[in-house]
Amino acid sequence: MTMSDEHEHHHHEHEAPEALDAGSQALAEALRSSFAIVKIVMVLMVLAFFGSGFFQVGPSEKAVILRFGRPVGEGKSILLGPGLHWSFPYPIDEVVKIPITEIQKVTSTTGWYFTTPEQELSGEELPAGPSLNPAIDGYAITADRNIVHTRATLNYHIDDPISYIFNFASASNSIQNTLNSALLYTAAKFNVDDILTRDVAGFQDAVLARVSDLTDQEHLGIIIDNCQVQSVAPRQLQDVFARVTEAQQNQSKQINDANAYRDKTLLNASAQASAITTEAATASTNYVKAIQADAKAFTDLLPAFKMDRNLFAQQKLAETMTVVLTNVQDKFFLPQRADGQPRELRLQLNREPPEPKPAAANP
Amino acid sequence: MKRNTLTIVIGAVLVLIFALLLFVFQVRKSETAVVATFGKPTGQHYDQPGAYFKWPWPIQKVYKYDQRVQNFEDKFSQTLTADNNMLLTSVYVGWKISDASQFLQVFPGDSSVSLPNAQSKLEGMLRTAKSAVIGGHPLSDFVNADPQALKFDAIESEIEQSVQNELRTNNYGIELEFLGFKKIGLPESVTQTVFARMTSERQVLISLAENTGKSEAQKIQSAADADAAKTIANAQATATRLRAEGEAEAAKTLPIFEQNPDLAVFLLRIDAIRQSLNQRSTLFFDERIPPFDLFRNMPTNAPGQ
Repeated sequence: MTMSDEHEHHHHEHEAPEALDAGSQALAEALRSSFAIVKIVMVLMVLAFFGSGFFQVGPSEKAVILRFGRPVGEGKSILLGPGLHWSFPYPIDEVVKIPITEIQKVTSTTGWYFTTPEQELSGEELPAGPSLNPAIDGYAITADRNIVHTRATLNYHIDDPISYIFNFASASNSIQNTLNSALLYTAAKFNVDDILTRDVAGFQDAVLARVSDLTDQEHLGIIIDNCQVQSVAPRQLQDVFARVTEAQQNQSKQINDANAYRDKTLLNASAQASAITTEAATASTNYVKAIQADAKAFTDLLPAFKMDRNLFAQQKLAETMTVVLTNVQDKFFLPQRADGQPRELRLQLNREPPEPKPAAANP
Repeated sequence: MKRNTLTIVIGAVLVLIFALLLFVFQVRKSETAVVATFGKPTGQHYDQPGAYFKWPWPIQKVYKYDQRVQNFEDKFSQTLTADNNMLLTSVYVGWKISDASQFLQVFPGDSSVSLPNAQSKLEGMLRTAKSAVIGGHPLSDFVNADPQALKFDAIESEIEQSVQNELRTNNYGIELEFLGFKKIGLPESVTQTVFARMTSERQVLISLAENTGKSEAQKIQSAADADAAKTIANAQATATRLRAEGEAEAAKTLPIFEQNPDLAVFLLRIDAIRQSLNQRSTLFFDERIPPFDLFRNMPTNAPGQ
């Protein structure tokens, strides 16, 4: 009983510290679990830190990773294309996104008269005033001190991305200004007619050459693919410019016509000349042949003639008359008058060709 | 024990990150930085990209500047040329901060304040340089078809040089990378005068084209006519020569006919009859003409007889 009492007592004695233990145990439990939460949070923070390194590059942009400020990679490989990428988070790495596509395009801004994109599209432009307002209308002054409107579109690609991105606050802006300047410079070297009609391609090439030179000098790190230049006369003078073109076209038409006339005339003359000489040559040859044939005939006939001159003559005459009478169309025999006087014969000669043949009358 | 190691590692990483944020600053490839201790620049240059140590704020403050080439364009402004033509010009420049600590001293404050200040300084210098340089050149130096006489490049570099010198003299910590004309124009009233002149030039071209076309065409046509006539005349001369040669050749047969001129003449006469009384001819004859003399004294049915 004592034992059990004792035990009981003991048990009871043990009851109090156990209750106390339970309290601290709960505290410890709470501490432990909150420490676990802290640990989870810390792990999450670390994960979040590294997870924040993921970034996406859109379809019309590129990205460059800077590790402690320096671009990661060499040359063109520093550019990351569209897709999901990962870098160390700040402050180790930093991602710079650049809105560039494969082919870049800039258009000049200072050589064209004032117009809105809507007007450009619809093709309906406001009527031009008598003068150009320097605040809004752009133009270039030509070598012969005329005014033209000119604009250029430049397509290029980036050859040296490090220079393009990290050496220029806005490389495309610099290129645009360079293009503006190249247009002004080139126009200052060309006469208005060369720019507008006579040497359009030469002007465009010169603009391109100038832009290439300037962008090289400025180390913009680009390669120019092409440059299209469009130039027009001031709208105020378009009529008179059109008339010049028309007059010049007429001029070349007149000259072309004259050249065609010359070709035709010379060809005809040469054909005629060759006919004349050929005919003469043929006639001459034939004449010679005929004479030679006559000579041969003469030689052949001479013995007969010598033998009996009269008979020969009669014979030849009869032969000839046979042929003549066969060939002759109309034959009239005029018998001798009884009184032996010659007959009087009157002929009415009609000049009209086919109808009444030269006919006889009046027997 | 294992758990503790992990905890310590994670803790250390977090501390490291925090320390990095506090004690380290980055200079990007495009940047240059100046560190000021209690507001005073340390004089050290940070123009290469990388990570650098600094004491945390408020002990040290880092001023970062864009080291890239900045674009700037001045206003479209009027200047008189040496030959008294009024010209409107606007130039673009590429400029950059070449000495950041110098720049910080001349243009204090953050970039948002110091950059506009620097640009307005630049604009003033450009204005002065432009009017001095443009005023020293006639208009023919700006526009000229003769490449030797065109001074466009030279004018640009004179302006650039002038501004560059002033920037160096005043030690602004800025330098120009390039300069060019962006826009050139004439006063509005002058454009009207130019249009009038251009119109009269066009009129001249129109009448020139009209007259030249006509006269050129005429020249070509008359030259062609003359050439054609000459060709035919030549051919006729050749024809005459050929005929003469034929006659000469024929004349060689003359001795044959001379053997008996009577026969020759007789044959010629016979031939003449044959030739002349060819087709489409009408022959009247009476009995005196042989061989019809055979008809003589033959009875006829003529009423008179």
